[in-house]
Amino acid sequence: MSEREIMNKRVNRNAFEHLPPLVRLEHICKSFGKVRANHDITLDIRPGMIKALLGENGAGKSTLMSILSGRFSQTSGSIFVDGNPERFESPRDAIRAGIGMVYQHFMLVESMTVAQNVLLGQERTFVVSPARMEAEVSELAERYGLPINPAARVCDLSMGEKQRVEILKLLYRDSRVLILDEPTAVLTPTETEQLFEAMWRMADQGKSIVFISHKLKEVLAVSDEIAILRKGEIVDEFHESDVPNETVLANRMVGRDVVLSIEAEPVKTGGVVLDITNLSGDGMESLNLTLRKGEVMAIAGVAGNGQKELVEVICGLRRPVSGRVDILGLEWNRFYPRPPRKGKSLAYIPEDRQGLATCKYLDLVDNFLLTTRHAFARGPFLDRKAATETTVQIIEEFNVQPGHIDGTARSLSGGNLQKLVIGREFFRRPDIIVAENPTQGLDIAATEEVWQRLLQARKRAGILLITSELNEALQLADYIAVMYRGRFMDVFHKSDTAKVDAIGLMMAGVTSPAAV
Amino acid sequence: MLGFRIAKRQEPLQWGSFFIFFAALAFSLGVSCLLLALQGKPFMHALYLLWDGAFAHGYSLEATALKTIPIFLCSLGVAVCFRMQVWNIGAEGQYALGTIGATWAVLTFPDMPAWALLPLMFVCAAFLGALWAAIPAYLRLRFDLNEIISTLMFNYIGILLLEFLVYGVWKDPASFGFPMTVIFPDSAVIGSLFGRIHWGVVVCVVVGMALSVFLKRTRLGFELMAGGENARAARYARMPYNFLVMLVMAMCGALAGWAGLIETSATLNRLQPNVVVGYGYTAIVVAWLARLRITSIALFSILLAGLRVGVENLQLELQVPAAFAGIMQGLLLIAVLAGQFFNWYEVKRIPRIDASGIAADGEGKQV
Repeated sequence: MSEREIMNKRVNRNAFEHLPPLVRLEHICKSFGKVRANHDITLDIRPGMIKALLGENGAGKSTLMSILSGRFSQTSGSIFVDGNPERFESPRDAIRAGIGMVYQHFMLVESMTVAQNVLLGQERTFVVSPARMEAEVSELAERYGLPINPAARVCDLSMGEKQRVEILKLLYRDSRVLILDEPTAVLTPTETEQLFEAMWRMADQGKSIVFISHKLKEVLAVSDEIAILRKGEIVDEFHESDVPNETVLANRMVGRDVVLSIEAEPVKTGGVVLDITNLSGDGMESLNLTLRKGEVMAIAGVAGNGQKELVEVICGLRRPVSGRVDILGLEWNRFYPRPPRKGKSLAYIPEDRQGLATCKYLDLVDNFLLTTRHAFARGPFLDRKAATETTVQIIEEFNVQPGHIDGTARSLSGGNLQKLVIGREFFRRPDIIVAENPTQGLDIAATEEVWQRLLQARKRAGILLITSELNEALQLADYIAVMYRGRFMDVFHKSDTAKVDAIGLMMAGVTSPAAV
Repeated sequence: MLGFRIAKRQEPLQWGSFFIFFAALAFSLGVSCLLLALQGKPFMHALYLLWDGAFAHGYSLEATALKTIPIFLCSLGVAVCFRMQVWNIGAEGQYALGTIGATWAVLTFPDMPAWALLPLMFVCAAFLGALWAAIPAYLRLRFDLNEIISTLMFNYIGILLLEFLVYGVWKDPASFGFPMTVIFPDSAVIGSLFGRIHWGVVVCVVVGMALSVFLKRTRLGFELMAGGENARAARYARMPYNFLVMLVMAMCGALAGWAGLIETSATLNRLQPNVVVGYGYTAIVVAWLARLRITSIALFSILLAGLRVGVENLQLELQVPAAFAGIMQGLLLIAVLAGQFFNWYEVKRIPRIDASGIAADGEGKQV
């Protein structure tokens, strides 16, 4: 995410070299019905080491770590902790053995303080003094370089701070192995650096850290050992001294050559499809934006700077407070709440694929019908046969795996679900496509595919891309708008290299590139 | 730890769920027997009486079938609401309003021929029932008022309104002060089909089939299903969520209203307060037991109607209080709902850990 190089600041990387592994996984296999999620995995987790688990989505990283943290039990194979065989029946058993995991979705009580969250369930006496609790948490935070105010309420914290609370929870329970599942996905560049420093500090004090990621740069910068998972198996293991370069790692991860950048040939631009003038309110401050057919406009910025509100206004889920929004030549009030059925349409590809774009317990045809149902309405009835046929076509065209139309949306991985959503939205032949972090959580292969689809779609639509991945903005966009605290810091063409170089700073709220 | 642990199933049970239902049924009957035994009643005989009263003879089957009709209609309405995750527990009040609507039509146009009066009664009953459901729906959408509370309160208002009318302006002057209207003219009575079974059965079949087609085949039915699965996704897909909430509530109100109409016209032939006997609450039980599926609703309506009729038999023969039917109904619901836990979870023995002597010892002591 950050353009700056990250310097590894380990001080005593080799201090624990001589010690035996804390945890050893031996020949772990895990199947869900016929699906083989993990196959014959053997992995050592050693004290004082940061181990990166690198792999595409669906490669089995999360399953493996869920086994280690006691959420699933393995189909076969053994787990040894300090050389003794252990069987975890629940996360409680794993925590007792000193293994804890920080999930992507934090599990904190929002209305309680940091100290209360950390001590929750661990109070050693019946009466607990808040001051003592806070002192205890401060001390712990100090020791591992996780600055936090123990008296603050969790709901007032930033994502980075919440993550620190999660880590502190594990440290307070004397965890020796900390598993971090995609920890940087929700962080700003500065917060990411702070996290890495804390990770090094914890490792320096003998903790083992497992770092799940598919961001190669971060993995290279932060870890001591790298294990690459592909299709449920470990295909490679590297130690810090023999780690190859990014391209090799990427190729090992997907098993074929990948292009990490794509050529975006410019397309002839057409008329204005979206015109926003002086949009304010709900945290937004006089936003101006013009999008034409054939263009990709990227809105770059760290999540939570007003992008969500902007998208909701454009997609009709939120009423603009003040300012003017013209969609396909119609004023907001005339386009919504009932957008024209024929001809002019806007497609929204939300970040929350599972919660917003699909119904997880419905099958693929029903999920396909969700936004396309009007195209299959015959009077009051739905032509399910035609819808099924079209769904099958879309599944084939967009390569959704596994493409059983009777399966539920829940059974698809994030990438495949995204492909289904994109297929569905493209089927409507939209004139505007609003894509919100369309590749978040996707692996390289799926990312590339989504990028190609979006670039193809420029031929008939204007695309508004909301992304917190700088690379994505640079790869796809014609114009880039950097958003910070509800304002556009700047809107510029991607050929303006001076400004492009300053995007990172603008994302952090630094106004003038000249000041650098 | 007891040497057992609970684990989530990878796949929910398929046929085993039948077994779970019968086990739950047996459990609830068992507890009922226990309650009877505590009162010193011969419980085996009681079970026989229950069966005998509900299903064993033509007469008892007829009685069960008659009670099935209003329960089935109310349950359909409730189930449609529950599918949308709208927790309408006001079928009882909507049923009461249905009886009022139908009676108003009869008392206002007593001389109309049957071909005009009966349809008018259906329209009035549906309209008032739907109105009674639409008010809480509106309150929920406009003011975020919890529909569980409002529909429940509207039950009391609806029933009191009914009583106000039959104790007041609608009271038959020739009733010697009893709260009841005049007997309906023949043109306002739903006729018999065979035996005591009246044409209401046909209404049930038609409504059941129409609703099934509506939910499975139409665009609105699809929107209802999707809206119930994920309200956020429904808003995302520009489904008219507010309209759908009003629609399901109005549908439930109309169906409950029809149940009230049929009960008033075909069974009692007049309006009196004891037309309201809790079918609207039984409907909630039926809808949950049937997991909101229409065919299952038919089966469970028959079962719970049979329970009501059978307990009447118990009342007569063993002097068991009337509330016993409610107790059994509640037991059955709780047992089945609790049993559904086993659809998703299983209880496993904890395997011994051979390599570690402590674990094996520990288990040895516990088991």
